[in-house]
Amino acid sequence: MTGEEPPRETLSSERELPGGIAVSDATAAEIYGEEVPAARAAKTAPGASKLVTFLWALPGTVWLILFLVAPVIVVLVVSFFTGTITGFSKTWTTDNYTTIFSSTSQYLDTLGKVARNAAIVTVVCLLIGYPVAYFLAVKVKKVQYSFALFIIALAPFFTSTLIRVESWIPTMGEHGAVNEILTKIGLINHPLSILLFSDFAVSVALVQLLVLFMVTPIFFQLAALDQSAIEAARDLGASGWKVFLHVTLPLTRAGIMIGSVFVFVLAMGDFGTYRLIGGGKVGSIGVNISNLVSLLQYPQAAAQAAVLVVAMVIGVVLLLRFAKLEQGF
Amino acid sequence: MATQEQVGEPGPEVGEARANGTSGPAGLELRRLTKQFADVVAVDDVSLNIDSGSYVVLLGPSGCGKTTILRMVGGHEHPTSGDILLDGESLVGIPPAKRPTTTVFQHFALFPHKTVLGNVDFGLRMQGMSKQEREKRAMDMVDLVGLSEMRFRRPSELSGGQQQRVALARVLVTNPKVLLLDEPFGDLDRLLQLRMRVELRELQRELGIAFVHVTHNQEEALSMADRIVVMEGGQIQQVGSPAEISQRPANVFVAAFMGDNNILRGSVAEVNRDQAVVDANVGHLAIPTGEHSHSVGDKLTVAVRANCVNLAAGEQAARPNEVVATVAATEYLGDTIKVHMRAGEHNLLAKLPEQRYTEMSKLVGKPVVASWDAMNVQLLRD
Repeated sequence: MTGEEPPRETLSSERELPGGIAVSDATAAEIYGEEVPAARAAKTAPGASKLVTFLWALPGTVWLILFLVAPVIVVLVVSFFTGTITGFSKTWTTDNYTTIFSSTSQYLDTLGKVARNAAIVTVVCLLIGYPVAYFLAVKVKKVQYSFALFIIALAPFFTSTLIRVESWIPTMGEHGAVNEILTKIGLINHPLSILLFSDFAVSVALVQLLVLFMVTPIFFQLAALDQSAIEAARDLGASGWKVFLHVTLPLTRAGIMIGSVFVFVLAMGDFGTYRLIGGGKVGSIGVNISNLVSLLQYPQAAAQAAVLVVAMVIGVVLLLRFAKLEQGF
Repeated sequence: MATQEQVGEPGPEVGEARANGTSGPAGLELRRLTKQFADVVAVDDVSLNIDSGSYVVLLGPSGCGKTTILRMVGGHEHPTSGDILLDGESLVGIPPAKRPTTTVFQHFALFPHKTVLGNVDFGLRMQGMSKQEREKRAMDMVDLVGLSEMRFRRPSELSGGQQQRVALARVLVTNPKVLLLDEPFGDLDRLLQLRMRVELRELQRELGIAFVHVTHNQEEALSMADRIVVMEGGQIQQVGSPAEISQRPANVFVAAFMGDNNILRGSVAEVNRDQAVVDANVGHLAIPTGEHSHSVGDKLTVAVRANCVNLAAGEQAARPNEVVATVAATEYLGDTIKVHMRAGEHNLLAKLPEQRYTEMSKLVGKPVVASWDAMNVQLLRD
């Protein structure tokens, strides 16, 4: 609800009991009544605390300028340089972008595919992640247990991403564990090739890697959810499913959206998973860029990166629009 | 405690509440209601009748079981044993959604993502009412609580008083038979509380349904209730009208909790025709024997209301119900003053009209004679 709580009346409040105090409505309203909490909060932030606000903002701002704004500017500048066989010369050109958008280029195809994969991965992560988060935060009654289970769910993150991706190969490969088991029990005659080096395999691996980015924000939001709103909904006649649909789900929209942004952005920018699980058969912009960098084609790589960033920003903006996050929920 | 008596059979005060009820099973009835959490008995064998159309306040300190009772009536907790009946039919086992009760929750529990109108129309929506119909009814209710201009605002954009009105509109639109209010004024500023008390009371009279209101605030209970149910330790300590509760506290807890009582202990020294003289910790008391029979040596606890205590300068107690004390401090409360006194090791309190403030403040540190009428000495159960 609203931030500050008004002071509670204590049990021994005789001192301020004015017996039959007669205050006209207008007076009461003027003194206390009709002031909106937000306005009250705004009043309590005097100008003197501007310095404090500035100091709080400082570390994050410095960090963002050094490691986000500056690199992006460098990438943008380099993307307008002319590529040479050993790097680039500082001659301005828009060739790098014309190459990307030329009809012979695979870039937009790949971008579309990656975006589609990222969208699918996001949806699958949500479908798997929400029930997990709901179970941990709501169904597990003891807070200690739900946090313990949450930490256990985080356990895969204690190992490096590369190892987790790498381990998909002996699991899902043509002679990997899954195929061996399925063949042995006679469900399939020939090993399934789709399990590795395919769009499908990449998507499955991405879901496995990223699902916790969905679980985490939803879990914390569910855990902090105002239970009385849920009780109120039940009290007003809502059945379990309707409570979820009308109260729980809308109140966790922010968590869903934050999780979705994480998963979508990470899936779209991914290159390790695409390279290892896709095995060169499945392209991604990340893989392209990494290839270009190893060939010293920095301006072209920078241009591809710039377009990717723009595409991701568009994707995220669309997501947030959909979520109406600016409304607070 | 004295309330143990109530475990087996409902005490006289419960009977009294019943006696005032309309005939037949109309209204809410709690029958030997008990709620046990892990190792705590929150509500201990409580029996109570609440007439339909009455305003009942459950009053007690936090942890006394009052909120648990409310939650059991609303269906948000299941009783360990006992029964809850509304108009003669048991509510136990019926989910909150299906009960003809609704709750105004502490801190209002509005839906933050819905507008005023969306909050108010929620109950009707859950009943499956058509959009047109429910929006019309919700709008009427929003009008009734005077928020039509704010109907598209969200709760965070409303003041505390406005949020309270939304909370009321949201439950009243569903036409409950019993309205349950859990500390409804907890989040409101003091002056707003005073105003909402009157509004809520008027609303209850207009609707003619039972309101069950939970609070820890004595003044709020006294000002609003038809009947007050004072609770402590999961048990009912006393049921009565505001006047009965404040003038005739049944036991030590009620006398202490309602405040402004001098609680005195002693043993019976002498029994006359219509009076018993008690040798109390502060001096001699004379109490009317009334229906009680006392014998010499009986241990007694009595209460004398602070506003029944008269003060006069002096150093000699002449008769029973006069005590010599030293004025320790005076407190100015606007329309009244409080005079705190020490009589030996014991504290005494008197409440006097404001006009005597100057006189009394001059007496600080000096002896006074505190006196009261025998009829104002109230015998307490321990």
